Amino acid sequence: MARYEEFYEKVLAEEARERAEGSVHERPAGRGSMDMPFLLLTLLLLGIGLIMVLSASFARAYFETGDPTRIFVRQALFSVAGVCFMLLLSRFNINLIRRFSIPLLAVSLLLLAVVPFIGAESGGARRWIDLGFTTFQPSEIVKLTIILSFAAMACKYKGKMKTFRYGVLPFAFILVVTVALLMLEPHISAAIIIIAIGAVMMFIGGTKLQWFILGGIIVAAAGFLVLTKFDYAVERITIWRDPFSDPQGDGFQIIQSLYAIGSGGLLGVGLGQSRQKYLYLPEEHNDYIFSIVCEELGFIGALLILILFALLIIRGYWIAMHARDRYSTMITAGITSLLFLQVFLNVAVVTNLIPCTGISLPFFSYGGTALMIQLAEMGIILSVSRDIKIKKAG
Amino acid sequence: MVSKKGKAAQKANTEILRRTLSLMIVCGILAFIVLGVHLYKIQIRDHDYYEQRAIEQQLRETTINASRGTIYDRNMKILAMSASVETVFISPAELRMYNEDPEFISRGLSEILGVDYDSLMKKWEDTHSWYKTVAVKIEKDLADEVRAFKNEHNIKSIHLEVDTKRYYPYSSLAAHIIGFVGTDNTGLYGIEAGYEDLLKGTSGRIIRATTSNGTDMLYTKFENYIDAKDGNNAILTIDANIQYYLEKHLQQAIDDYAIRNGGMGIVMKIKTGEILAMATLENFDLNNYQEISEEAKERLKGLTGDEYLKGLAQAQINQWRNRAISDTYEPGSTFKIFTLAIALEEGLVNDNSTFFCGGTIDVIGRDTPIHCWKYGGHGSQNLAEAVQHSCNVAFVNIGLKIGAETFYEYMEALGFFDKTEIDLIGEGSSLWWDRGIFTNPKNLSQLAAASFGQTFNITPLQLITAVSAVANDGKLMRPYVVSKVVDSDGNVIKANEPKVVRQVISEETSRKVCEILETVVDGGASTGRNAYVAGYRIGGKTATSEKVGQGADDDYIVSFVGIAPTDDPEIAVLILLDSPDPSTGIYISGGIMAAPAVGRVFADVLTYLGVKTVYKDEELATINVTVPNVKNMGVEEAKAELQKDKNFTVRVVGNGDTVTDQVPAANATVTKGTEVIIYAGEPKPNVMVTVPNLYGKTYVQAKSALEAAGLYIRTAGVAASTTSDTIVVSAQSITQGSEVPFGTVVEVTLFESDTSLMETRG
Repeated sequence: MARYEEFYEKVLAEEARERAEGSVHERPAGRGSMDMPFLLLTLLLLGIGLIMVLSASFARAYFETGDPTRIFVRQALFSVAGVCFMLLLSRFNINLIRRFSIPLLAVSLLLLAVVPFIGAESGGARRWIDLGFTTFQPSEIVKLTIILSFAAMACKYKGKMKTFRYGVLPFAFILVVTVALLMLEPHISAAIIIIAIGAVMMFIGGTKLQWFILGGIIVAAAGFLVLTKFDYAVERITIWRDPFSDPQGDGFQIIQSLYAIGSGGLLGVGLGQSRQKYLYLPEEHNDYIFSIVCEELGFIGALLILILFALLIIRGYWIAMHARDRYSTMITAGITSLLFLQVFLNVAVVTNLIPCTGISLPFFSYGGTALMIQLAEMGIILSVSRDIKIKKAG
Repeated sequence: MVSKKGKAAQKANTEILRRTLSLMIVCGILAFIVLGVHLYKIQIRDHDYYEQRAIEQQLRETTINASRGTIYDRNMKILAMSASVETVFISPAELRMYNEDPEFISRGLSEILGVDYDSLMKKWEDTHSWYKTVAVKIEKDLADEVRAFKNEHNIKSIHLEVDTKRYYPYSSLAAHIIGFVGTDNTGLYGIEAGYEDLLKGTSGRIIRATTSNGTDMLYTKFENYIDAKDGNNAILTIDANIQYYLEKHLQQAIDDYAIRNGGMGIVMKIKTGEILAMATLENFDLNNYQEISEEAKERLKGLTGDEYLKGLAQAQINQWRNRAISDTYEPGSTFKIFTLAIALEEGLVNDNSTFFCGGTIDVIGRDTPIHCWKYGGHGSQNLAEAVQHSCNVAFVNIGLKIGAETFYEYMEALGFFDKTEIDLIGEGSSLWWDRGIFTNPKNLSQLAAASFGQTFNITPLQLITAVSAVANDGKLMRPYVVSKVVDSDGNVIKANEPKVVRQVISEETSRKVCEILETVVDGGASTGRNAYVAGYRIGGKTATSEKVGQGADDDYIVSFVGIAPTDDPEIAVLILLDSPDPSTGIYISGGIMAAPAVGRVFADVLTYLGVKTVYKDEELATINVTVPNVKNMGVEEAKAELQKDKNFTVRVVGNGDTVTDQVPAANATVTKGTEVIIYAGEPKPNVMVTVPNLYGKTYVQAKSALEAAGLYIRTAGVAASTTSDTIVVSAQSITQGSEVPFGTVVEVTLFESDTSLMETRG
């Protein structure tokens, strides 16, 4: 650790010197350029994702609507809109929304609170609000507002984060309320992500590590209770451990996913050549699109895509570490962590590494509003990256 | 420079970077390593397992049925063939999937196919099923109607699949030889079963990758064809025409003599062992093989439930049984042919041997003497007469001369202990005494009885095969019904060549036996006279066997085995009639019942085969000739035409120069010497006359009775001795009392009515 600390101190010293030179808050518009690696990785993944949506969806689109490109075209339109939105946001000074963090959180929680009453029902849960031309999940927005508000709070309580009163209590309160609202829908996967992202924000914000241990124990105990007492959860665990115990029922989807991934082998069956997408694998262009990626592009292709995601995530943290101020660091690390959580949980679910839960794969899974929000988040990071002072040699 | 507060802030800044870096390591590197390793396990380590399972569910296999081979008769007439038909099935699972209307579909299907609406509605209830049969093996036009209905309403839950159906163009002809196939197209009886492996062909497969709904994938076409190989064709030794003659005459005998238990017949080509025809009556329609005869249905009346089903199954098994090869019987007097042949071969008898029959003979080992069938005995007879009379006493004497050891060895040589190995399934085994018992010197009763064909059982096929051996210069042939099996390109897959099993007797003996057998048919006081056909040299032997322990005391199997022509035997014919009804009053004897049937078969078969007729002088006087057409000829020219070969005498009516009409009509067949009336100018009288009763009349009597009525005569049956008093009309083609036009030809069947000649037993 010593070597790293030396490095940080150098960076910090530099930053401190800059700050001594003038107020960062009032720095005029003369901002730097966006972080190109981050932008290119984002666009690359988005492009590959779009191609995979076309490949994965055309069979079902053809058999169910007669138009094989129907799903792809929609996703492409959202992609274009999303990229524009991302670039627009990257010009926006992110510190301006800092003061609106809490009101935004309040609004998003309000939306979340009304979903159980006005939301569109699907599969026994109300998670979506129908806007007519598209639907969106308030939980997606809550994920972002949690990041923004927690970052703002952590900055505000900067010196008192080590105390329980400031470093734990307000955060825990918001999380409990949010999770409670999500349980009304119910929406367990969103709850898991929000708990995780909240913990990440507190972790970066400086909350004492001992609280994480305590929180971990509480979450584990609650999780154990849920997994043993609720039939629904018990079934999921059973299927996770042995999908073939109910191959035509609850195990069907994961088995079909494993068939797709396994048939891919080293090099895959070839782009567009998936057989599992022919109505065998459900949700092949949504949550389970990565299975089709594995089948068509093989281990090599899947690994390359995972590496692209890893590079994007690493670059996100790098930007966070080089951000101009504490708030920027926190939201960038938060958004990066959110991206990571979605990628990791999605891949882990489709490969049956963890029990099944509905989480989409960023940039790949079909879904207009989710994509828009993801690209907006990338736009926020790009905005942060513009304020990084590029150190010139010498 | 740096304040305390600044130091704390710096500490916090260090901490945030440290914590972010640790997140970067965990989330950006470690977590992805975990995912990578897990993907490796699924995609590389377990690749084969998952791929195999995925392929299993993605590939659909469709069977392409091979077309079953055709069965031809020896002249390439089709006896059995396969044609494409279709099977209609419904898929309740798809009905649910596509939300189709079961009531509408059921109504449509029941209208087209005539199947019950309610039972159709019931089939939809099994909603998980993808396959519920509605109608099997329907013809193309009906299938097209179903297809049109399906397409018109875009119904996804109706399906049609191609199947094959077996057709038997001659329906019941040679039913027991051809056999039939079950609904799964597997041969169950006859050639269909025996040659199953060669006929069935190998079905092919289409393997293709499909969507989970079974439809084709888009752009990704994966199909693998394994062609079906059609079955081979079998060409039989059977001649459909000869088979028809045999069945026709067998049926006539069954009808004429009220035969209660059916009949069997075999026509064999003596020199090769080829079966030209083989019949068991009652037979059945191969296209509807489960349908039992009306009589059998009558017997099942009143039965219900299991008893009915049991009875039905038994009736079906009975009607499918090829009794000519499966059943065994006590042959009786036809067996004397072998006793005769053995004795001649061993030099124990000759033309000059004499045998005295006083009606009985004592045999060592028997408490009671053996009786000849003729009470009072035949008196003194030479060898040929003993055969003609079918004298049991004479044949016991001959048998005793041969001796049990020798007799037994000849039995083995003639093939009576083994199956003939005919290429039909279900051949029965004979039932014989053990050698030790048969050859016991202290008990010759078995030998004595065997000499005239009693106390053992053989199959009809064994008998005709052995008789053919005797007629075939002593060479025993293996009988067969399939001459060739060829593939669809005409390549010979299997050919049955004539196979000599062994030489049993010498050529000389063979000729002698044939000579004697001819006298049985064409002799003065012989048992086989009713098998005679004018113009042909036919030999043969009668038999009237008791059904020992098989039925009532008065149950007999009457039979006749014949060979022709006797100077160079080509064809052997055996006919058995099982259980003539004694209540008809007809004298039960092979000579009365079976011999005429064999004679009729010979008449048709020998003519059909183009065997040259050679008439005796007396026959020439009364053979049947065809009246030529002399209409519109000059009177003198017509006269000359009619008087040619002394065929007809002529009477002219009228004074004209040209023939305006004639009686009998042109192309009518009448007896030679008949008077033909030609009308020259005068009209033919247009009157109706009554047919007289001719039964029991001799030829001469019948002829004059007909002439008196203004009718004409033609003969059938024993035509040789038209002058004998005992040869009389047994049947007339137009029943007495019928009103027919003047000049009509009536055919009379003549037969030997002297029952004192005919054996009752033996």
